Amino acid sequence: MFLTRSEYDRGVNTFSPEGRLFQVEYAIEAIKLGSTTVGVSTTEGVVLGVEKRVQSPLLESSSIEKIMEIDKHLGCAMSGLIADARTMIDHARVTSQNHAFTYDERIKVESVTQAVCDLALRFGESVHDEEAMMSRPFGVALLIAGVDEKGPQLFHTDPSGTFVRYDAKAVGSGSEAAQSELQDKWHKQMTLKEANILTLRVLKQVMEEKLDHHNVQLAQVTADKGFEILDEVRLKALIDDM
Amino acid sequence: MPDGSYAHPQQRQFNPYTENGGTILAIAGADFTVIAGDTRQSEGYSIQTRYAPKVFRLTDRAVLAVNGFAADGNMFVKKVKQRLEWYRHAHAKDMPLRAIARLIQTMLYAQRFFPYYVYNILGGIEEDGSGAVYSFDPVGSYEREACRAAGAAQSLVQPFLDNQIYFKNQQLPPGQTRPLHLSLSDVLSIVIDSFTSATERHIEVGDGLEIYVVLAKGRGPQGLEAVRGAQELTTNAEGDRVFIVRRELKKD
Repeated sequence: MFLTRSEYDRGVNTFSPEGRLFQVEYAIEAIKLGSTTVGVSTTEGVVLGVEKRVQSPLLESSSIEKIMEIDKHLGCAMSGLIADARTMIDHARVTSQNHAFTYDERIKVESVTQAVCDLALRFGESVHDEEAMMSRPFGVALLIAGVDEKGPQLFHTDPSGTFVRYDAKAVGSGSEAAQSELQDKWHKQMTLKEANILTLRVLKQVMEEKLDHHNVQLAQVTADKGFEILDEVRLKALIDDM
Repeated sequence: MPDGSYAHPQQRQFNPYTENGGTILAIAGADFTVIAGDTRQSEGYSIQTRYAPKVFRLTDRAVLAVNGFAADGNMFVKKVKQRLEWYRHAHAKDMPLRAIARLIQTMLYAQRFFPYYVYNILGGIEEDGSGAVYSFDPVGSYEREACRAAGAAQSLVQPFLDNQIYFKNQQLPPGQTRPLHLSLSDVLSIVIDSFTSATERHIEVGDGLEIYVVLAKGRGPQGLEAVRGAQELTTNAEGDRVFIVRRELKKD
């Protein structure tokens, strides 16, 4: 493996003779090390769920932040290098606010996803004599959930700057098992509550620890209430209903 | 005269603006909007051209009328059209009317310290299908209204609209209430009368009249069939529709 990838995995913008960009591929690999993150879209809204790996009993689990608000109608869950995601979320937030300021309307989910993906390929970009702003690709995948004039939508982005819309998507370490479970269980008429429970069940299946309200986080985006992270009470109630 | 010496005080000035006359007007109905402007362009007592359009179709649901300094107006419309095209490419849809209104505000305010010397009136159909008029000052202050006149004959036309559209200073017979919205044929008559009257009393108004009519999606052309020479400009007949009606005005 390392013999075949010699030389061409050094420069971030160097294609290998087979036409591959190794650093981008490695970044995609980095996501598979991250904790499992699930997104489920329904006609009532979109659900996001993440596993929080609590490595130590001394760790304050509420300080792990893997679901973030982009705007009132947009949320985001992540897997991979969380620190990289902060740069992307910040860009998404600025883009969304700028859109609202200039056009007096909410930005579309696809448009904000596109804006984030534009940023994803800026690595190694430098003007003459200047340092590049980013030296490497982002090592994070995002699930961007939102509601706009086209209804609830879920988008997946990866370090190559590709984005695709999904009805349900899992990323991270347990993604393969989680994705096939989603494929089996997801259906068109799913209610928001069913989606919440499906998300929890899928996470439970792929998690090593026993699932409780400390090691998972759920959020949803609906037309009425917009983005909200479910508090402990609502999360506990859903876990009990599982 | 400035001669470059320091012997006496000297004054220099920069006059980048002129006023090119003309008048624009827009009236919103329940499910339509009419936006009109004359086509005379003048500077002082001389007419530069008898046909310089001041009203422009932006999308199938938005029409912009621009009055004031013609060069600034043309440049401004060009820039708005460019921003609409960029938006279409970025977001895969036509910009909604209220978004265009906000965009115009940000574009005008961006020139706060060297403004476009133009008064804008934006008319069209909102997302909810209602007729709407937005009026602007040169630095971007804006407001949604039912009707607005601007330009050289604003002081002649606006009071007439206040009376005819808002029913100001009209004593209605007991038991009769004023209609919330007028019909398209009534509005077209008011628009044409406004311009013929303004042409009579204002030297900068005349030559030609261009009236744009925007109809909400699903609304029939009632009120427009009887109008001579109405020409459709719509690109997609499924949505809101835009028509233009041209009339002659006195050329003296």
